[in-house]
Amino acid sequence: MSSREQYQVPNSQGFTTGASNNDGNSGGNSGGNSVMWYTCGDCAVRVPLEKGAPIRCQKCGARVLYKERTKRMVQFEAR
Amino acid sequence: MAPQQQQQQQQQQPPTSQDWDVKFNQVRREKLFRDPPTDRTAYPALQAAVDPHIESFNALFRDDGRPSLLDHALAEIGTKTFLDGDERADPAGKNKLTIRYKSIELQKSQVPPTNRWAKNREIFPAECRERHVSYRGKLSATFEYRINDGEPHEFVRELGQMPIMVKSNKCHLQNNSPAQLVARGEESEELGGYFVVNGIEKLIRMLLLNRRNFPLAIVRPSFQNRGAAYTPYGIIMRSVRPDETSQTNVLHYLSDGNVTFRFSWRKNEYLIPVMMIMKALVETNDREIFEGLVGPPQSKGVANTFLTDRVELLLRTYKKYGLYSKTQTRAYLGQKFRVVLGVPDTMSDYEVGTEFLRKIVLVHLGCQDVTEQQDADKFNMLLFMCRKLYALVAGDCAVDNPDAVQNQEILLGGFLYGQIIKERLEELLTVSFRASLRDYLRRNPTVSFQSDTFLKDFPIAIFRRANENIGQSLEYFLSTGNLVSPSGLDLQQVSGFTVVAEKLNFLRFISHFRMVHRGSFFAQLKTTTVRKLLPESWGFLCPVHTPDGSPCGLLNHLAHKCKIMTEGVDASTIPRLAFELGVVNISSAATSESVVVMLDGRIVGWCTPEECKSIAETLRYWKVNGENGVPLQLEIGYVPPSNGGSYPGLYMSSQPARMVRPVKYLPLAKEDFVGPQEQPYMSIACTEQEVIPGDSTHVEFDPTNILSILANMTPFSDFNQSPRNMYQCQMGKQTMGTPGTALSRRTDNKMYRLQTGQTPIVRAPLHNTYGFDNFPNGTNAVVAVISYTGYDMDDAMIINKSAHERGFGHGSIYKTKKVSLKDDSRTRSAKSIVKMFGFAPNSTIRESTRNTLDNDGLPRVGRLLREGDVLCAWHTVSADYNGQLVNRDGITHYERYKDSEDAFVEEVRVIGADNGTEPLQTVSIKLRIPRSPVIGDKFSSRHGQKGVCSQKWPATDMPFSETGIQPDVIINPHAFPSRMTIGMFVESLAGKAGALHGLAQDSTPFKFDEQNTAGDYFGHQLMKAGYNYHGNEPLYSGITGEEFQADIYIGVVYYQRLRHMVNDKYQVRTTGPVVPTTGQPIKGRKKGGGIRVGEMERDALLAHGTSFLLQDRLLNCSDYSKSWICRQCGSFLSTQPTVSPFIGKRKAVSTVRCRNCATRLDDMEGDVDLMQLDGEIWEDGSGTQWIGGENTTVVAVPGALKYLDVELAAMGIKLKYKVDKKDEIRRGQLVGKKAGELMLTATATA
Repeated sequence: MSSREQYQVPNSQGFTTGASNNDGNSGGNSGGNSVMWYTCGDCAVRVPLEKGAPIRCQKCGARVLYKERTKRMVQFEAR
Repeated sequence: MAPQQQQQQQQQQPPTSQDWDVKFNQVRREKLFRDPPTDRTAYPALQAAVDPHIESFNALFRDDGRPSLLDHALAEIGTKTFLDGDERADPAGKNKLTIRYKSIELQKSQVPPTNRWAKNREIFPAECRERHVSYRGKLSATFEYRINDGEPHEFVRELGQMPIMVKSNKCHLQNNSPAQLVARGEESEELGGYFVVNGIEKLIRMLLLNRRNFPLAIVRPSFQNRGAAYTPYGIIMRSVRPDETSQTNVLHYLSDGNVTFRFSWRKNEYLIPVMMIMKALVETNDREIFEGLVGPPQSKGVANTFLTDRVELLLRTYKKYGLYSKTQTRAYLGQKFRVVLGVPDTMSDYEVGTEFLRKIVLVHLGCQDVTEQQDADKFNMLLFMCRKLYALVAGDCAVDNPDAVQNQEILLGGFLYGQIIKERLEELLTVSFRASLRDYLRRNPTVSFQSDTFLKDFPIAIFRRANENIGQSLEYFLSTGNLVSPSGLDLQQVSGFTVVAEKLNFLRFISHFRMVHRGSFFAQLKTTTVRKLLPESWGFLCPVHTPDGSPCGLLNHLAHKCKIMTEGVDASTIPRLAFELGVVNISSAATSESVVVMLDGRIVGWCTPEECKSIAETLRYWKVNGENGVPLQLEIGYVPPSNGGSYPGLYMSSQPARMVRPVKYLPLAKEDFVGPQEQPYMSIACTEQEVIPGDSTHVEFDPTNILSILANMTPFSDFNQSPRNMYQCQMGKQTMGTPGTALSRRTDNKMYRLQTGQTPIVRAPLHNTYGFDNFPNGTNAVVAVISYTGYDMDDAMIINKSAHERGFGHGSIYKTKKVSLKDDSRTRSAKSIVKMFGFAPNSTIRESTRNTLDNDGLPRVGRLLREGDVLCAWHTVSADYNGQLVNRDGITHYERYKDSEDAFVEEVRVIGADNGTEPLQTVSIKLRIPRSPVIGDKFSSRHGQKGVCSQKWPATDMPFSETGIQPDVIINPHAFPSRMTIGMFVESLAGKAGALHGLAQDSTPFKFDEQNTAGDYFGHQLMKAGYNYHGNEPLYSGITGEEFQADIYIGVVYYQRLRHMVNDKYQVRTTGPVVPTTGQPIKGRKKGGGIRVGEMERDALLAHGTSFLLQDRLLNCSDYSKSWICRQCGSFLSTQPTVSPFIGKRKAVSTVRCRNCATRLDDMEGDVDLMQLDGEIWEDGSGTQWIGGENTTVVAVPGALKYLDVELAAMGIKLKYKVDKKDEIRRGQLVGKKAGELMLTATATA
């Protein structure tokens, strides 16, 4: 189970920042300036947002952003 | 390809075809779906179904230069006058402020100017749905004011944000091509017609009202309650102003022959002698009124002594008022109604009387700048109404049925919306502004309207105190459906005006827009007359599509060809034509001599009955042929003379809100539009064969025109018993289908989706016309009608397990959870941010939470969620000295997923504010719950044949045919004989033939007859494919391999999966939460409660003699409780545990004593020798010592019994339980004896 959780996809900014925090063993440094990536609903551009940043697309100013699908492996029991 | 060439090619391309046939059209549909057309929709019928809603909204703010409804409304509101100085002082010498609305504007939905980042300033409906906000635009009004009739000045006030109807002329999506709609996040066939309020699609439903501008003869016993001498007879006239607001006028017949005029103003009712109104309207005399009612001296009307007697009395009794001239009467009326109307003090009584007539009396004949001619029209109309009333009383005229569509029209959503806006605007001036102005003048008593201080403060300082947020009240109306109105808007209900346009599946969605409600007032009525299906509804309201149960017959649906006029047609030439055709101005009360010719509630003139018929016929010919300016949609209601039937005449109407429907006019073989008022008196043949020469004037284009969109989707519905078709109309709307294609842009609370939808093999061509292949609603299944497994009792059906595994009926549910950190309270003060998403810094976070949530505190998209999993994390923040938001407590809070079913995170939407500056405060998480069919899920065919899946039978054990076909579904033959759904047999046959030949089968009803039967037609198709003509086939048992004794009826039927699924319904419990007072299980599935074993269930168990089961249900699984009782006094309530002075409180109760039977040691008289006492001394909680009361025991009783005991004790009633002597604890040898019963007796304490 644990090996599966640590699966990483190379060359992904959004993920590597997240993963490095994850490896930090539930420590307290989760705040700070961790950047998450979102997708704009209007122009489909990828938008990096810091914690506490105003929610808008940096290109078109759209007000609805979508969270990207997780890069982690998602595997479910097949029945 | 070069762009020029491309352009050229586009120009050469023909416009998108809008003609559809019954075929599958796979390639064409695929192309439409891949490249949505850039010119026009391929499904115009779909848009036409919703158009009445949109057009009625468009009428509020026109952009074609003609006056809009709100322009009319502003004119009717008129100019308001205010005076300065002391209120109680005489108006003379005061300054006058007159103010009026000049115009009113609505902006399209836009981003506020404070948002500097938005490139695209427009807000589209899709964004509003996603952000859970309302789709609205800025409403503003231009006012014009004068002081002492000086120069007019203008100013503009903003009236808040008003919700806009999607696809209306104030919506960005108006006239968008399918390609544009898709680009803007909508369906390619987005219909509009609804509002988006807080992300929910709301729609104002259509209501049936009394027909406008037509005097209805009514007999209503409740009229007698209005006072002495009142009779049940009355004439009701619902007058409608040009702005679509209405005022109802009623004439009452009094038993002495008098007539009173009744109206309701601001929810109060007023009665006036009708003579007074007549005299006030025009300068008249008694002779004129007499002749107007009875007729000229030579006419036949004079011979009617019933009438003349009463008219004489009417004229005579009015003498007591002593009002003779028009001026006198108007001044009298004005004096009486000055306070009621709330007019300014500057008006004279005469002017108030004129205002009264303008605002209240027959407003459809003039309600702004009323001319003398209009007053004369009102006078004539009143005379006609009186004449009809006397005819009604005499029995010469039949009662008009207000429940028949003939006498009804439709209140459209947009018009109602406009009425509310108008009333709010008027309220703003006459109430809010008046109050704030008065307040201002009280605070500044020295300031006059001419002073500079006032000119500085007006309008800003004064309007600031008035509540001018009209947009908010409109939003409240849409979101709750409640009408807050001082006048009641002449409607009979105050709530239930709006409904949610649920997108459960597309059939349900489209049905909402075709829905017509009779009004919630009628839902409470005990009589069923209003619910009856009347022949007048033919072609206007669908006879099939109404729910069963409480709304049956009240909630109808429009026939699919029925249109609703949203604009008046130009009937200005009609009066001239009528006079040319022989209409005169002189009339008599005898209908054999003269009948009325009326246009929109205005009397054009009179003619003989014979002339009337020919005028009607001539006008009809001109109307269909488009000659002489007679509009096609004009309704020419010719009521022929009859013996005591409806009052004869020619009633024409050109105004909006009427229903019309197309039929073929035989003399010209052209399309004519027929309205509900004229239809009962016309001869319209159903089919060409039924045309009776010399009688029929019209013929239906198609017999299916009488059915609603949904009823038309039932294949071969003419073969079914009619209630089954009604059931299908219900079940079609509960099907788990395809709500739409823009699912990723929707955030409905709950959405159902069928994963494996198919186009039905058997369908009507209308299926394609309405584009239902874009929203598949079921699956074609091979159905065998056989009693096979024993699991097929009582409407159970068996599904082939392999069919299930291939995806038969597989569906999903999408749920959207909105998590908002904002305070829900409406107060604007708490605008600061106090919470933020994410983990609090320096808080400990579990590993499992880390795996569920990302660093932003939101769930990972695609993850599986189980019950109790963390949905998102947030923490509190407050501003530090820099204004930075920091967390101080270091506590992370979690929102959890509470549902019991596993779900997947489908989408996580981070939602910003519309000014683009706020950090994340709201997320909307869309979850997907997979729902493969399980045992207990509900399915149905399209013939009202619903069933519950009882087994998923292994394919190996399923019967098979000679061609190796196995059924997907097995149903029991017993489902048919009593239900008589022959249509399902025919569908099975047609489906089988269609599948074998690769054909789409036309299932339009009324296509086959006794000579050319459906069975024969499809039977021959089957024969050609090498199958049995009757649709039977030899089938082999899947278990033994033997051929069945009988051939089995097997074919292809389209099956719908209904949204009722066991996973949402199952309820099970042994123990669980209980009601604290009684100890019985609580109610409700969500809370883990029980199902009630009620009296009838108890009776059944008793009758079966299963007393042990009964005890288990009613006691052991319910409020079983052990309780101490005193054997001696028989009381539950006097027992108490002893308290040992030496042992701590935590020790379990060892002994229980009866306090009632015990003696208190202190109370014992004299010297007590403790050694002499019999028994043990015990202490209670307060340390008092007692002796005795030892005869206690534990019994098992229902908790409710003890509760009853307590309740009765509170009322001074004591219950005494006789514990049988036989049950005493035996000290000696135990003898096997039956346990005795608790005997219960109640004794009242003195």
